Amino acid sequence: MNSKKSIGALALLTAGAFALTACQQGSASGGGGDSEDGAVTLQFQSLSDQPATQEAIQAAVDSWNSDNPDVQVEIIQAGWDGAYDKLITQFTGGTAPDIIHFEAASIVAFAQDGYLADLSEGLSEETIADIPEGIWDSVTVNDEIIAYPSTMQSYVAFANADLLEEAGVEVPTGDSMSWDQLAEIAEATTTDDVYGLGWGLGSPAATVMTLAPGFGGDFFSGSGDDVQIEVGDAELEVPERIHEMAYEDESLDPVSLTQSGSDVLASFYGGTVAMTVQGSFQAANMANDAPEGFNWVALPPLEGSEGALQAANPQTYSVNIDSEHVEEATAFLDFFASGQTLAAIAQADALIPASESAREVVATETGGEDGWEQILATADGMVGAPFLQANGYAEWKETVLNPALQQYLGDQISSEELATQLTDGWG
Amino acid sequence: MSAPAPALAPPSGGSPRRKAGLGPRQKAERREAIALVIPALLPIIVFSMIPLLAGVYLGFTNATLARNAEIEFIGFDNFVQLAQDKQFWDSFGIGLVWAGSVAALTGMSAIALALLLNSKLRFKSLTRIIVLIPWAMPPVVTGILWRMIYDVNSGPLNAALGWFGIDKVNWLGDFSTALPAVIVVGIWSGLPQTTVLLLAGMQSIPGELHEAAALDGANGARRFWHVTLPGLAPVLIAITSIDFIWNFNDFGIVYVLTEGGPGGRTMIPPLFTYLEAFRNREIGYASAMGDVLVLAILLILSIYLVNQFRQNKEGRS
Repeated sequence: MNSKKSIGALALLTAGAFALTACQQGSASGGGGDSEDGAVTLQFQSLSDQPATQEAIQAAVDSWNSDNPDVQVEIIQAGWDGAYDKLITQFTGGTAPDIIHFEAASIVAFAQDGYLADLSEGLSEETIADIPEGIWDSVTVNDEIIAYPSTMQSYVAFANADLLEEAGVEVPTGDSMSWDQLAEIAEATTTDDVYGLGWGLGSPAATVMTLAPGFGGDFFSGSGDDVQIEVGDAELEVPERIHEMAYEDESLDPVSLTQSGSDVLASFYGGTVAMTVQGSFQAANMANDAPEGFNWVALPPLEGSEGALQAANPQTYSVNIDSEHVEEATAFLDFFASGQTLAAIAQADALIPASESAREVVATETGGEDGWEQILATADGMVGAPFLQANGYAEWKETVLNPALQQYLGDQISSEELATQLTDGWG
Repeated sequence: MSAPAPALAPPSGGSPRRKAGLGPRQKAERREAIALVIPALLPIIVFSMIPLLAGVYLGFTNATLARNAEIEFIGFDNFVQLAQDKQFWDSFGIGLVWAGSVAALTGMSAIALALLLNSKLRFKSLTRIIVLIPWAMPPVVTGILWRMIYDVNSGPLNAALGWFGIDKVNWLGDFSTALPAVIVVGIWSGLPQTTVLLLAGMQSIPGELHEAAALDGANGARRFWHVTLPGLAPVLIAITSIDFIWNFNDFGIVYVLTEGGPGGRTMIPPLFTYLEAFRNREIGYASAMGDVLVLAILLILSIYLVNQFRQNKEGRS
């Protein structure tokens, strides 16, 4: 009898020990630690994928590290692919880095779940004054600044100048280009082998939400948990126009609507589409990768009935609230936010700097070449995005908006059905 | 797997009648047995049973992935909500179509392939090795490979069809072809293990049966129908139900190929559960979905098991 009991006790003990170790693992707060000589090490998870951007970030970190021997920053290079999944695992498992690079629309969800530190005390007044209020709004959750907004993507139409010339179309210039103009050029350049426009809308949600303000499409009113959705004519204008070009004008390649932006870029280089709408960052890829002699131009910003407006969804740098060194990490971000550093990052990525000082540096350094004139022009139309203020947007975008738009752009449902699906799927 | 297990010999000297009063020796033996089993059982309990039960329990809570979230027991609320979740049941239906057609078609193709490999062909050993290659591929690699094959503009499949004058098909992007295209990949990657098992089953059918049938004048088709297939039936049923379960729970291939798109047309239940757990961060609700899926599979499995037991019983009596 005795031995039976002791066996049972042993088993229980071992199981308990295992369970305890498991708990320990879970609650350990991740990120940097202290080395033996008392210096603090901060982990900085960066997602930037352009080599020149990585150099600019490394340069900024090196300069900080030599000025601050007590607080050393260590870069952890990660990628944009699967970044959300990686972060949610890191946060839940307690192994998230101290400084976190991401984008506003997705990081807000983590802030709502309480994982991010408030930066409003730690950032200097100059840093805060350097960025327009509308952009700060996009990273403010419950009156706390939960991220530093660095650079923004806008959507830019690029054209194959040779194909436009063949079709006898003049490359549009000026401050903006209307959607009608885009449709006209697309029709004019469509031939038997060439579609006028290729648009990588495999995941259409971000594009549609960003361009919607051009027609006054807000989708949401209110903020926090009390948010109303409205899907009316203004909100449906962008998808309807894309749908019309694809299925009535037949000037937009319907296959491209199921692809990613970079897939369509291959068709663009191959000359099977005359124009393509892409994130501005693709200008950096085109400058590097476009085939020899390929004559591409960036077209003026797309203008809807309300102007050339696009929703601002900046890339962000946040601090993990469970970091042991929130203060030091915030101080590093304040240093990182200098005009020179951000201008270098923005140029390498072909993105628009959120801060005014960095934007000036970019304008003078590039002289408007390689599409920069048009990219910077879109910056004037950047407006705060109502969807960033809506709790539950990230869920709705993934499970309702994306599939419904895919069905509409795949010509499976009507725009009325689209509106119903979007409205019913909210809340 | 389905061969009737040899009847277990009762423990030494013990007969059911005498079980009530165990002698001191039997007691000692039993203690020894427990002591020997526990070390092997412990890892299973700690690493398999406890997480599994914790996962089942989560389905009855309102757990989220928020920081320091307070988890409350909410009874069957998640399941009541789930019962009305049209998206989930749509996804469940897609999962049944996906797993059912992959399992059935894999079974059929595997029989054909196994027959071919079982016949006296030249280079038999080489072809048997070649057939195994898809087995060696991780699902993500399979997915990426087939995404390239299906590519609208630069994929070899459309190029080959182009030689015959067939227009480009947007395999993974078109609403009508996405699910069938994904099913083909599922069959391709599941074929090797099914074929190998069926081949082994075929080789265990005594050659005399074929000879006897041939002497009686049965042609190839009749011999397949009356000798090979009945002999293969237990293996075939077992492997097909296992294929069904595997594919119903499969995540990698479909995630890499389509991520559930276009418009949710290939949103199989594991993908939907994953979105709910890690995108919507509603881990409690997602666990409830997992519980429902486990129940559904147990139900399907039990139909098979009951059938199997009945056959065994009939066979013995």
